[in-house]
Amino acid sequence: AAPLPSPWERAEQAAAAPAGPRPPPAAAMFEDGTAPGAAVESLWRSARSARCEAKSCQTGNVPTAEAAVQSQSSRDAAVQTDQGKAAAWGVQHEAQVDGTSLLAFLRRVEDVVIKELNKNWTSHAFDGFDVNWTDQNETVLCLHTLSYPEAQDQHLQVTSVSWNATGSVVACSYGRLNDGDWSTEKSYVCTWNLDRRGLDPQRPDLVVDAPSSAMCLAFHPSQPSLIAGGLFSGEVVVWDTSRTEDPLIWRTGMTDDAHTDPVYQVNWVPDAKHRNHCQLLSASTDGKILVWREERDGRLALAEGFALVAQQIPRSAQLKKLARGEAAVGVTSLSFSHFDPRVFVVGVEGGYSLRCSMAAETPAHHRSGSSVPLRAPAELAFSPHGGPVYSVSCSPFHRQNLFLSCGTDGQVHLNSVLQTQPLISLQLSKKYLFCVRWSPVRPLVFAAASGEGNCKKCFCFTGDVHLFDFEKSSQKPAVSIKQAGDECPVYCLEFNTKQTQLLAAGDATGAVKVWQLSSDFTEQGPREMNHLEQLASEVTD
Amino acid sequence: AEVEETLKRIQAHKGVMATMVINAEGIPIRTTLDNSTTVQYAGLLQQLTMKARSTVRDIDPQNDLTFLRIRSKKHEIMVAPDKEFLLIVIQNPTE
Repeated sequence: AAPLPSPWERAEQAAAAPAGPRPPPAAAMFEDGTAPGAAVESLWRSARSARCEAKSCQTGNVPTAEAAVQSQSSRDAAVQTDQGKAAAWGVQHEAQVDGTSLLAFLRRVEDVVIKELNKNWTSHAFDGFDVNWTDQNETVLCLHTLSYPEAQDQHLQVTSVSWNATGSVVACSYGRLNDGDWSTEKSYVCTWNLDRRGLDPQRPDLVVDAPSSAMCLAFHPSQPSLIAGGLFSGEVVVWDTSRTEDPLIWRTGMTDDAHTDPVYQVNWVPDAKHRNHCQLLSASTDGKILVWREERDGRLALAEGFALVAQQIPRSAQLKKLARGEAAVGVTSLSFSHFDPRVFVVGVEGGYSLRCSMAAETPAHHRSGSSVPLRAPAELAFSPHGGPVYSVSCSPFHRQNLFLSCGTDGQVHLNSVLQTQPLISLQLSKKYLFCVRWSPVRPLVFAAASGEGNCKKCFCFTGDVHLFDFEKSSQKPAVSIKQAGDECPVYCLEFNTKQTQLLAAGDATGAVKVWQLSSDFTEQGPREMNHLEQLASEVTD
Repeated sequence: AEVEETLKRIQAHKGVMATMVINAEGIPIRTTLDNSTTVQYAGLLQQLTMKARSTVRDIDPQNDLTFLRIRSKKHEIMVAPDKEFLLIVIQNPTE
């Protein structure tokens, strides 16, 4: 039989094969056999992937561009605030006041106030009561001794000192005061800044060469770096200490307009026309007082001028006969009034002081020609000293312009501008007095510098700085400071207006000493102004 | 009127340098000084009077300020305070 082997058949055949020789198939009813399996492919998987298909992205570029900015611009149109109370403060526009309530108030308080006023007037509760708010400084100390060794080697003397506008820099000029000859030797102007650390007293911060002896200095009152100087040759120069290459910025040059004699005083005067501007004024022994104006190329040109001629000095009965004719009257010092900027006082070689005014109109009979007509400024001549007047100083406190003058007779005259006779005449020392200055804080104090002179038949040169206080004594100085050893007259001194306890004094050894004054010289006492007024009103007829 | 006469009487007293009346807001009503000085005094003294009054009342709430005197080297300032006004007198007591 040849039927298809059934699946059972095959399986059995396969299974039985390893067993051994197979027994021949038995009955052909049931035979082992195997059948192939059937595989069914999954449909859902392919269907699914048929649904997800990666396509391409199709978004175009969105074009953007800046078109415009829409910001608001604004403009102030108007302000709507009420009239503040502070606006109309004039007492003329009086606040709404209820007259009756004001009257009632005053009635209530009047008695109380009058009682207190009376009690105060008669009370002795506060007699001699003083409060010390600051540390009291009892003595006068020498803070610095400044000098320039090169100038000292040439035996130059300090002719003038000046403090600058801020009160921190002191400048001194070197020259000769005891020489009568015409000298052409160069000299120096030195400045020291006292507020700097590492101040070396032997090395000035700035040394300026001057073509001839510098006789006087003046710092500008508001610009701390400008300094003006008057020279022995008659020139007036202005230096700017902030320029390092060449400090010289203006000079007068030797023209017909300039001085022909040494310039002994330079001053900055406020300009009448331009409020903040200052003009330079110089005075010299050739009798001329000139006011300079700055020109473009660094030259100073004459703006106005005055000349003092002997003929035009107003006489008064007490003055002796002066030199006749058109002799020039040599000006040695000058000081402006602090209250009236056109009035000034000059001291002359003849020994008297003159009150002058810049508003004078009469022309001067001056011989030499000059580009600007010179005027005669003198208005009043005061009683003379026994020798040339070396220094005048107007009081910064008194309305009626008290001024001091000192000269070689060792006397200091306290004058009022209104009368010729001095109010007080003090014989400070037997030596020449070279400089006198009022204190800027205490109305009753002034300082005087003394020097060579005849005392007890010997010519002694010791120099002192005398500090005089009218409150303590009207006969002798309160303090006399010895500047240096012998042979050293003190030629110039200046108070520091910003740091009021400092006083600079320059002497013949070429050193400038900065003194610190004790507290009683720097604090105004309670009734000093009254005392000063009292002094001024003692009129001796 | 009477107000002026009263003020004149006070001003005429020995040593009086200045007299002024200011109201509660610190505005000068009558004065013998120039405007800027008056305004300065008024502002400063009003603040000081308020401070003095609060000092007195802080120490004792039943107490109150009646008079204020400031003595300085140069003169003495007297303030008479009130609810609506302030009278300031500056005197120079030269004994």
